[in-house]
Amino acid sequence: MILFAFALIILVVALLGAPLFSIILAIALLGFYYLDINLSVIAIEIYRISDMPLLLALPLFTFSGYLLGESQTSKRLLKLTQAIIGWMPNGLAIVAFIACAFFTAFTGASGVTIVALGGLLYPSLIKAGYHEKFSIALVTTSGSLGILFPPSLPLILYGIIAQQLQLGKNVTIDALFLAGIFPGILMIISLSIWSYWTNRKCNIPLIPFSYKRAIIASKEAIWEIPLPIFLLYGIYSGFLAISELAAVTAMYVIVVEVFIYKEIEILQLFAIMRKSMVMVGGILIIISVSLASTNFLIDAEVPMMMFQFIKAHVSDKIVFLMFLNILLLLIGAVLDIFSALVIMVPLILPVAVSYGIDPVHLGIIFIANMQIGYFTPPVGMDLFIASYRFKKPITELYSATVPFMIILFAVVLIITYWPALSLVLL
Amino acid sequence: MKTDKTFYEKYLDKVCILLIKVEDIILVALLTVMITMSFLQIFLRNIFGAGIVWNDLLIRIIVLWIGLVGAMVASRKGEHISISIVSNFLTEKAKAVSNCIVDIFTATVCTVAAYYSLLFVKMEFTSGDVAFHSIPSWICESIIPVAFFVIALRYTILFFRNFSKLMKLTK
Repeated sequence: MILFAFALIILVVALLGAPLFSIILAIALLGFYYLDINLSVIAIEIYRISDMPLLLALPLFTFSGYLLGESQTSKRLLKLTQAIIGWMPNGLAIVAFIACAFFTAFTGASGVTIVALGGLLYPSLIKAGYHEKFSIALVTTSGSLGILFPPSLPLILYGIIAQQLQLGKNVTIDALFLAGIFPGILMIISLSIWSYWTNRKCNIPLIPFSYKRAIIASKEAIWEIPLPIFLLYGIYSGFLAISELAAVTAMYVIVVEVFIYKEIEILQLFAIMRKSMVMVGGILIIISVSLASTNFLIDAEVPMMMFQFIKAHVSDKIVFLMFLNILLLLIGAVLDIFSALVIMVPLILPVAVSYGIDPVHLGIIFIANMQIGYFTPPVGMDLFIASYRFKKPITELYSATVPFMIILFAVVLIITYWPALSLVLL
Repeated sequence: MKTDKTFYEKYLDKVCILLIKVEDIILVALLTVMITMSFLQIFLRNIFGAGIVWNDLLIRIIVLWIGLVGAMVASRKGEHISISIVSNFLTEKAKAVSNCIVDIFTATVCTVAAYYSLLFVKMEFTSGDVAFHSIPSWICESIIPVAFFVIALRYTILFFRNFSKLMKLTK
């Protein structure tokens, strides 16, 4: 009875908007109390953060992303992509998709793409003659496009959590990064085709390719071009570990933006460091307390019970995947991606594996589903950022983004029911 | 309005601002050390084929510290990740009530966590374990009770702020 009362209190304060870490912490404390385990175990569980060398990548990549977001990188990236592929029919929209995907992958889908790149793209899309509604939807959804490409933080976090679960099968970050490539490209292609179709009557002028422009744009971005090449080579050749790549990236970005381009002053650098680490702190504290709650759940055999319940009601892999898609879509609408990963992966992954789903494939399904959650009402983060940035009422954004949502959900279904698309490179 | 503050209140304000600055500096310093040390380690390993033995462990402990100090800073204005489904639809007054409840809940949970992690650190202190080099484990772990204590304190302050806001609204 008392347990029930406590559970109810926790549920109510969670809905009222209590910090997620305090909810998870309360569940863990309560759970350990009822299992008659000394509550000091909480500190031991939290200290396990320092047993996870991969986690180093999280603060380092987040910092690099924030630094790139605050400098003029977005401008140079846009100019370069435009010079190289802007000549294609419907070129600017394709440029926008590719540039946003790149930028989001590097800055970790924190919404900085909308602010930095969207701010440049939105007026140019309108000027080039694209539909208003299409343009605003493009910049809104751009905040999460590219989340499947390296060095995407959600993919890294999924890998870290999956490795903690000891599934008997190793889920490496490299494998996740390889698996994300084709699904990510499919998203860009599908959106490009849609943009060509919906803007076919807009008479968008073609811009001829110019070597001169391409050379100028490349020269301007000469210090940043090596970064993605180095990262991709590093990940796929395996000559450095992910956390080492993150360290080199952070150092390189500081040198380039602060000392070569001189766009960031030292004092500003400190402010960026602080800002990015507050964001990291918010995520890390959730991860650390969830180490405790996950252990409690395992002690209390909750995944086992969930597993038996689901097995009793869902016989088929396809049906399970259908439920999974719907569940993740709903979760994506109310939780941010990092909390969703920390809470849901330990519960879902063991069940999914028992249905014969590859853990790497599940990671791609999970993240791709969550990508849509970024702009699903009522709490999709991208909606709020775009509404604030472009001074549009949020309800207008709800309706504008619907076609993008449908297309991306169709892609998610393809990703879900065609495992080879993700796993072919492994 | 601020002029009628007593000498002690002004003094207290100054101490608070100083503490906030110290916290910021620690956070930035931790990240700087982390970037430098992890870069140095790669450099040493690949050029000289040898690294500092305890460096990896130091860096991993810094990750924990960054997480907790970052979470402390995020608590200043209650900027933690939360599920905000209901709060978007509440009236000003209902929001103030719900904020008070949330603040008191968070403060309580963090106080409990701070107390039990302090017991753990005390245990480690008496055991005298060494984390790396000559640094004892309890120093590395001490950030856990400190962080929860500071977060609890901040949410207590937030509670009083929201409470006085609620009082004003009911008048």
